[in-house]
Amino acid sequence: MSEKDANPSAKDALVGGTLFGRWEKLRGREGTVVGITAILVAVFPYLFARAPVVSGFLQGYQSLATLILIWGIFAIGFDLLLGYTGLLSFGHAAFWGGAAYAAGIVAKNVSGDPIVMVVSGTLFAVLLAWVLGFLSLRRGGIYFSILTLAFAQMFYYMAASPLAFLTNGENGLTGVEVGSFLGVIHLEADVPSIGGMLLGTWLYAFVGVFFVGAVAVAYRILNSPYGMVFRAIRENEQRAEFVGLNVWRYKLMAFIISGGFAGVAGSLFTIHGAYVPLQSLFWTESGDIVVMTVLGGAGSMFGPVLGVGLYLYIENIVSTIQALTIPFTGIVLVRDFGFYWHLLLGVVFVAVVWVVPDGLWGILNRLRELAVDLGSKAAKRLRARSENGGGGQ
Amino acid sequence: MARDNKSLNRRDVLKATGAVGTAGLAGLAGCTGGGDGSNGGDGSGGGGGGGGDDEYPALGNFPIEGDTATFGFNVPQSGPYASEGEDELRAYQLAVKHLNEGGGWVDSQFDDLSGDGVLGYTIDHVDGDTATDADQARQSASGMIQRDDAIMISGGSSSAVAIAVQGLCQNEKVMFMCCLTHSNDTTGKDCVRYSFREMFNAYMTGQALAPVVRDAYGEGLQFYQLYADYSWGQTQQASMEQFMTDVAGGEQIESVATPLGTSDYSTYLSEAQSSGADVLILNHYGLDGANSMQQAIDAGIDEDMEIIVPLYNRPMAEAAGGAIEGIYGTVAWDSQIDNTPSQEFTQAFRDEYDRTPSGPAQLAYAQTLQYAAAVERAGTFYPPEVIKQLEDYEYDNIGMGSETMRGCDHQAQRDVPVVQGLPASEQSEGTYFNIVNITSRDDLGYACDAGPAAECELGSYE
Amino acid sequence: MSLLSDVLVILLNGLQQGAIYVLLAVGLSIILGTLKFVNFAHGALYLVGTYAGLFVALNVPLSNGKLAEWGFSSFGLDIGFLAALLFVPLFVFGVGLLMERYLARAFYDRPDTDQILVTFGLAIVVQELFRVLFGSNSLPFEQPERILSVGSFAGIPVSGPIALPIVGNFPQWRLWVIGITAVLVALVYLLVEYTDFGLVVRAGTRDAEMVRLLGIKITRPYIVVFGIGAALAGVAGVVGGPLNVVNPTIGTNILVPAFLTVVIGGVGSIAGAVLGGIVFGLTTAALVSFAPAWSQVGLYAIAAIVLLTRPQGLLGDEEVTP
Repeated sequence: MSEKDANPSAKDALVGGTLFGRWEKLRGREGTVVGITAILVAVFPYLFARAPVVSGFLQGYQSLATLILIWGIFAIGFDLLLGYTGLLSFGHAAFWGGAAYAAGIVAKNVSGDPIVMVVSGTLFAVLLAWVLGFLSLRRGGIYFSILTLAFAQMFYYMAASPLAFLTNGENGLTGVEVGSFLGVIHLEADVPSIGGMLLGTWLYAFVGVFFVGAVAVAYRILNSPYGMVFRAIRENEQRAEFVGLNVWRYKLMAFIISGGFAGVAGSLFTIHGAYVPLQSLFWTESGDIVVMTVLGGAGSMFGPVLGVGLYLYIENIVSTIQALTIPFTGIVLVRDFGFYWHLLLGVVFVAVVWVVPDGLWGILNRLRELAVDLGSKAAKRLRARSENGGGGQ
Repeated sequence: MARDNKSLNRRDVLKATGAVGTAGLAGLAGCTGGGDGSNGGDGSGGGGGGGGDDEYPALGNFPIEGDTATFGFNVPQSGPYASEGEDELRAYQLAVKHLNEGGGWVDSQFDDLSGDGVLGYTIDHVDGDTATDADQARQSASGMIQRDDAIMISGGSSSAVAIAVQGLCQNEKVMFMCCLTHSNDTTGKDCVRYSFREMFNAYMTGQALAPVVRDAYGEGLQFYQLYADYSWGQTQQASMEQFMTDVAGGEQIESVATPLGTSDYSTYLSEAQSSGADVLILNHYGLDGANSMQQAIDAGIDEDMEIIVPLYNRPMAEAAGGAIEGIYGTVAWDSQIDNTPSQEFTQAFRDEYDRTPSGPAQLAYAQTLQYAAAVERAGTFYPPEVIKQLEDYEYDNIGMGSETMRGCDHQAQRDVPVVQGLPASEQSEGTYFNIVNITSRDDLGYACDAGPAAECELGSYE
Repeated sequence: MSLLSDVLVILLNGLQQGAIYVLLAVGLSIILGTLKFVNFAHGALYLVGTYAGLFVALNVPLSNGKLAEWGFSSFGLDIGFLAALLFVPLFVFGVGLLMERYLARAFYDRPDTDQILVTFGLAIVVQELFRVLFGSNSLPFEQPERILSVGSFAGIPVSGPIALPIVGNFPQWRLWVIGITAVLVALVYLLVEYTDFGLVVRAGTRDAEMVRLLGIKITRPYIVVFGIGAALAGVAGVVGGPLNVVNPTIGTNILVPAFLTVVIGGVGSIAGAVLGGIVFGLTTAALVSFAPAWSQVGLYAIAAIVLLTRPQGLLGDEEVTP
């Protein structure tokens, strides 16, 4: 993104409300979103794993930062389907795990080049999504959810034994050797100088680029006519049909795109771990991405990423602490937290679905609006008072 | 394939010890000085406590910063094997306590250990939850390595988990001491330099069981096998076939794979029943084993066939209840084993927790002390040196007879306890089996170029 | 081994494996058909039924979980299996009523997706609650040896092997499972087909709005339908629990096959649920005999094939779409 995209306000004033102007504005906003994302991605591992006080408080570590971005890509793609198109797939483990296996098998047999791995994994996921989408989308509603679930489970059981010669079965795909990027950069090595302090490893930088790319692509899609149609389908499928849209085709497209995102994420997951667990195809993995997305806020760009971060953070870090206390105080909220966290997560999940379907992101948004509202009211009152006061004197 | 790179190490060291230890306590005296090192990585500011640390380059989480060495214990704390994981964790904590304060085997069996930390470092530990899930286990181990700077990871409870974590440890250059993992692959196809296994494997179970079965039920039996269709089950059934044929002179009627995720074995069992075989071998582990055993008993298979389960564990025995009565199998270790180290461990564990330790608990305790003793012998935590201390190490102090931790595949060559399940009325907390035989290691094992070891390539020291 | 006995063995095993699915599927199906409510927490009701059955029938030692930590060393009333078979369905019926009143009702007018999500969440909550209380390790649910042993009467043996003609030894308990399932499903079928209550339910399945327009209060039949569905899951837990080890994950594990049974058979059709369960059981049993490595894959493949070729399910009505 060039700088002028990131700074749209001056141009807005010039071109005003014309169509061209709106397009420019849109591109500008896209630039801002991508720019801010890139900055956040760059400082995240430092704050999370290395910054003096903050990381000590957060207890984060490098590999988890990478993993959060990987799942973040998965969640952004999943949300395109669930949040924007309104289709609940319980079978996305097939694309995530399928891509992970494809990337791993390619690395073992053809080339360990990270780019080759990502491309082959993603390609596999897209093709698979096309086939499964073609089949599953023949039925709507709960049938769709159950069909995707059935297909994904089928792949899990196939990988477990009939295809074990390829997948190494229940032991998971071991011995994946990830080559160096462009033949020179070892992904496991640290980025030199300031980059190393911020990003940590090249692997993180590599994943980070894909994450920023994923945000940009998703943003572009959602603000394109395609995105409008997706939302129209979610709002009222019949009406979209009456307008003359080929709803089925758009749904398939949404499914394939979201499978592609899962594919990128799954391939990166193999590069990250140099290993593919059989569980990556199991339906609980599909369940996890559903929980993360809904918890964070389906139907928003960054909600699902927030959900991913929160879920993985709790799963890997908070679950290991004995008592959950209110920060900086000695007040114990939950004793033996590691034992209860899954239960609490379930309760929170139910509450979110029930009361705030737009998730934590929605809550944050409303808080922000409330603050702005209060702020402007307060300002108005202040102004009014000062005017009154002025008049009185 | 193990190249000896000791001399290389020393040279690297001189290059790499650029950052002279500042936090070192006693070790500064032995410091060999600086240099223009660029090899050291970012963590090399540590310096040594127990002497000699600064002879070696930074590698993995070596050198240790500060005066506390952290062990990472990665056990199932949720999921079906959580109770087993809890028992392992108890044993690990006991080991840490004994390492720091003395007691148990540290006082009586391990001459290398002082009971006052290891190499002057206090031992601390972190624990994580594997949930018996390879992915989760790797995440948890990553956290221990990257955030908590664990110098050694131990754990297991399933072969897929052990294989996944030991691969990670090899990449991260952090040592892994396997706890319960029984698949041939752990020290076969998927073996790594940084991991050591005390537990015997599926191959050795077959070797240990066959003679006992022959003596109990007679020679020349026809046997029928069901096996879990993943690598552990496959290797287990292969070894049962081999030794039931070679040693017990039996004949295999059929061997049928049951896919992962099967919980109802009734159709498989009907087929087995109608085969007319004398012996039914159920190569299922844990809860699968509890299910298939229970269902076999319900179908009355024990009336006209003898049942064998190669590997028992406690959650399986608890879940199967009285169904294990009279059924032969092997266990990692049992508190009833009659020798001094076993009794001492059982006593120490009971004194601390007021319960009877399980087999995996003994493995956990032994492996932790084993590692610590190797560090003491090596005089450093530098992993390649510790590995060399463990390779081909001979010992007789953990209650399983005299053993060798073989250098070629990191598989302990040791005795295997063969047991028979007790009837429900005789079972009590911690007691589920009756020890039939401790098959000597002289009757077990395989050469470095045979059996599972033939597929093992350990990888590099550094 | 003759061909006849092979076929009979497959048939019997297929029936008994299908039986538990049938019990669950009938409940799911009438709830889905009548109330248009997707219940991913149906497996949780099975879980509740199993633990409740264990509680009433036996007394098992606890070694894990918070209850054990709080000093309960064992768990159960130990008043026998028949008592469990009587009380547990009533209890789970009550649970079902509560669930309908306080959860499902709030979601009738919301999209399918929300129903799936909220019940999926509830399933997690229930499973985790049981894990916290009883620990995640498995408990043995032993089959009762005899029932109705009163005084000098030794009782009827219900477990252990029984020698059947042609087939040979067969686990007796599994025959009882088939029998109990058959009786219960027949009762529900009669209730729905031949009573006024059933008439309202069937009419509601076809067109709830029309029934309401005709002035029939539909809320009460609805809540009862939910209760009956739940109670069937409870019975399934009681009779199916002793077939396998019992732990908190059994509910989620059985949910997926149960749902597939419903969609194969056709939503809202009791006969369909029965047929779906039998098809499932027989296919699994047959695959085990001929291609065991594919027996798990087969289950899902069949579901997919049926749904793609006959989307409304084998006996489903095309007009009834949830």
